[in-house]
Amino acid sequence: MVYFIYTYSQGGVKTGLSEYIVEMRGVTKRFPGIVANDNVSIAIKKGEIYALLGENGAGKSTLMSMLFGLYEPDEGEIYVRGEKVTLESPAAAAKLGIGMVHQHFRLISNYTIAQNIVLGIEPKKRLLGFLPTVDIKKANRDIAELSRRYGLEVDPTQKIEDVGVSMQQRVEILKMLYREAEILIFDEPTAMLTPQEIEFLLKIILELRAGGKTIILITHKLEEIKQVADRCAVLARGKLIGVIDAATTSTREMANMMVGREVETDIDKKPANFGREILKVEGLTVKNDDGLEVVKDVGFSVRAGEIFAVAGVSGNGQIELADAVAGLAKTSGGRIFLDGEEITHASVRDRILAGMSYIPEDRQNVGLVLDFDLAENLALKSYFKEPFCRKGFLNRAAFEEHGNRLIEEYDIRSGQGTHTQVRSMSGGNQQKAIIAREIELESKLMIFVQPTRGLDIGAIENIRRQILAERDAGRAVLLISLELDEIMALADTIGVIYRGQLLKTAPAAELTSRKVGEYMMGVSA
Amino acid sequence: MKKKSGSGFRRAVLAVFGDERRQSITIPVFAVVLSLLASAVMLLALGKDPINAFLGMLRGCGIVPKANYAAKTGMLTDFMSFLNVLAPMIFAALAVAVASKTGLFNIGISGQMLFAGFIATVVVGYSDLPAAAALPLVIIIGVTAGALVGGIIGFLKYRFNINEVVSSIMLNYIIQYVVSFFINMYYVDPVSRQSMYISNASRLTITGVEIFGMKADLPLAMLLVPPAIIFAKVLFDRTKIGYEMKSVGLSRNAARYAGMSVGKNMVLSMLVSGALAGLAGVAYYLGYFNSIQPGVLTSVGFDSIAVSILGNYNPVGIFFSSFLITIVSKGSTYMSSSAAIPQEIASIITGLILVVSACTFFIRTKLARMKEREIESRKAAEAATPDEPVPAAEDSKGGER
Repeated sequence: MVYFIYTYSQGGVKTGLSEYIVEMRGVTKRFPGIVANDNVSIAIKKGEIYALLGENGAGKSTLMSMLFGLYEPDEGEIYVRGEKVTLESPAAAAKLGIGMVHQHFRLISNYTIAQNIVLGIEPKKRLLGFLPTVDIKKANRDIAELSRRYGLEVDPTQKIEDVGVSMQQRVEILKMLYREAEILIFDEPTAMLTPQEIEFLLKIILELRAGGKTIILITHKLEEIKQVADRCAVLARGKLIGVIDAATTSTREMANMMVGREVETDIDKKPANFGREILKVEGLTVKNDDGLEVVKDVGFSVRAGEIFAVAGVSGNGQIELADAVAGLAKTSGGRIFLDGEEITHASVRDRILAGMSYIPEDRQNVGLVLDFDLAENLALKSYFKEPFCRKGFLNRAAFEEHGNRLIEEYDIRSGQGTHTQVRSMSGGNQQKAIIAREIELESKLMIFVQPTRGLDIGAIENIRRQILAERDAGRAVLLISLELDEIMALADTIGVIYRGQLLKTAPAAELTSRKVGEYMMGVSA
Repeated sequence: MKKKSGSGFRRAVLAVFGDERRQSITIPVFAVVLSLLASAVMLLALGKDPINAFLGMLRGCGIVPKANYAAKTGMLTDFMSFLNVLAPMIFAALAVAVASKTGLFNIGISGQMLFAGFIATVVVGYSDLPAAAALPLVIIIGVTAGALVGGIIGFLKYRFNINEVVSSIMLNYIIQYVVSFFINMYYVDPVSRQSMYISNASRLTITGVEIFGMKADLPLAMLLVPPAIIFAKVLFDRTKIGYEMKSVGLSRNAARYAGMSVGKNMVLSMLVSGALAGLAGVAYYLGYFNSIQPGVLTSVGFDSIAVSILGNYNPVGIFFSSFLITIVSKGSTYMSSSAAIPQEIASIITGLILVVSACTFFIRTKLARMKEREIESRKAAEAATPDEPVPAAEDSKGGER
């Protein structure tokens, strides 16, 4: 086990209140089945850039949503400018000068930039001396002036639908400034921007600080923190790990703090016995709906009897990579081979028939038809073949027989056997059903995406053993997981994906989890 | 305090409606009973006898004998006439069900009916073909024409992602006015202001047959009802296509993941839906009626949506729900004349049944939530210590983590 010791640079409760513009003390927020924030205390000084660092699901956004009045904390107190406040709505937060730029912009696309900015607090004039109307000319003037002052050039008369993502973000920032917000929260502001736009945004953030604003930056990108932040609070699994000084802490240390924990595994792993190459991916590029390249020029190969694990922080293109290999996402470049045959443009069905099993990340909406019963779900990929189907007619008896056999063999627990609606089953048993079905296909390649997400320890162990068993049976396994310990426990070869690119590919034996963690954060080159 | 009485009520409700497998029967029955009760209250408020009113409807449909009949007519006359309206309703409701299996909402049934009826009228109805040739041809043309319109809607959805509700409503208008134009220009009967009557040989009704001394119109379309119901039932439950359609309807992502073609299945289900609507169209315009009133879409196509929901999209359920709704709409004429109740009351009753039945989804989700809460509160009751009752429920749950 590795421990990290950090000095807590904040004075906590005893220090004079006036020093801090925002203080959250012992804040706890629970959602059904999860503690999103567990007794988190942070204190932010006026005029600093305060970063919140953590993996996806670490509780950063929840914490800030409470400061912005979207949620109320279950426990704990929030102080703004030394006074205890209850923020029951974003409007209440806005009154206190708190503004937030959300990850997904909240703009009206067929309104102009000025209309969007003034919406809700429009400057009014009286037409003919009595008819109240929006003084859009004054709004345009004010916004042009405001945008010049902060170096955020916009054309107030342009419509949102005609401008790009980065311009829309400027509008969101101007919206806060127009409302004279003092405390600006940025939720993953660089997620959708190009490197140049990111540079520009960071410059703006620095200028805003120079102008006396307090900035809270939610992010999981270390170099941004290093570049602009004064201090940084690291969250993991809802808990505050520590608050560090951005200038004196290395990105490597931050990365370790964020993911750093060596986890031991007690699963026996037999030595690998690699066979021929089953999956080969060459120069694969995938674009998302916005036309951004989320997978860039990725190449790797998986041999029979090998577990190739793709490690990475969520949102770095790993899901798209799996979807592209499985045929669910369109590729915009590169080639994919399955056992020597090119399948780049093959249909999903053809890939399944060619020998591909896929355990998708979203087991409920993709992996299963929740309103079908268990027998129907267990045959979801073989219903069209004998003995399930003859001349277009289904043979329910075959479904039952197949279902009963899998329920028995894979210990799938359900209320009414093959007739159980899958919706009513527990997450663990739903996953068991998917894995049973996919293993039964006896494919050459098995893709597992987040196979143990949200499951209890027993189920996790069981599934990991199954993955290893499939590898030992000579199948090629592509494992995509956000859990570093899962990757360390199972992988024969690790590829680390960062911003859509495979940054590092190496045998698992040559990598430590700390090293992988660093690559995941883009620290090591 | 409120919580306690609420949970008692909840338990009672769940005892009756809690079983999901029986919900497909219990909820529609509940909907019908509730709306009939509401109708009874309304009739009482008007000072009318509800029992008499409901009996009047049944009498009008030849299900309960009337006090007296005109010469050469009888219960059978009424019942046959009732069946003649029932047939198109069943076909139309089946059409709705087929589309809904893939998650599509075919609100264009009326337009598809009119198109099929019009084409069959023009091609066969005004020809001199003998019945043996004309009748099969009417069916074939009706089915094809309906499938064509349905297929267009499905194709627009698949190819251009045009919402099927929008395109089918627009097609409804287009068909309504284009057909109206052709009837008024070329096929109008100057006296009735409707399309000219079709030949008797091409009509799906044999008129004026004497059975047991009673004259009746034999509805030939009714002969196609059992095959249509069996077809739909087998399609849904026993075929590969049905399985794919249901997968697409229940989870498009899962269907794609399983390697099914979402687009192909959507087009296919709209083709079949349109074909059934076409069948309804010829049964209506060349069976129950023998001409077309220009510029009007039949309400059958719209009522069939609610009928289909009331029947839980199940072909057999649809048979019963069509039966019920048709009794009310068809029987209202006699009810109004015999019990001196305005005929519009019938429309209100139909409306009530359809509104309540359209709420079945709401009732179902409400029940599901009730069940969840019941389970949760039972868990909480087990977890809570004696001096710390209900409000601790949430906390103790979160604390487990």
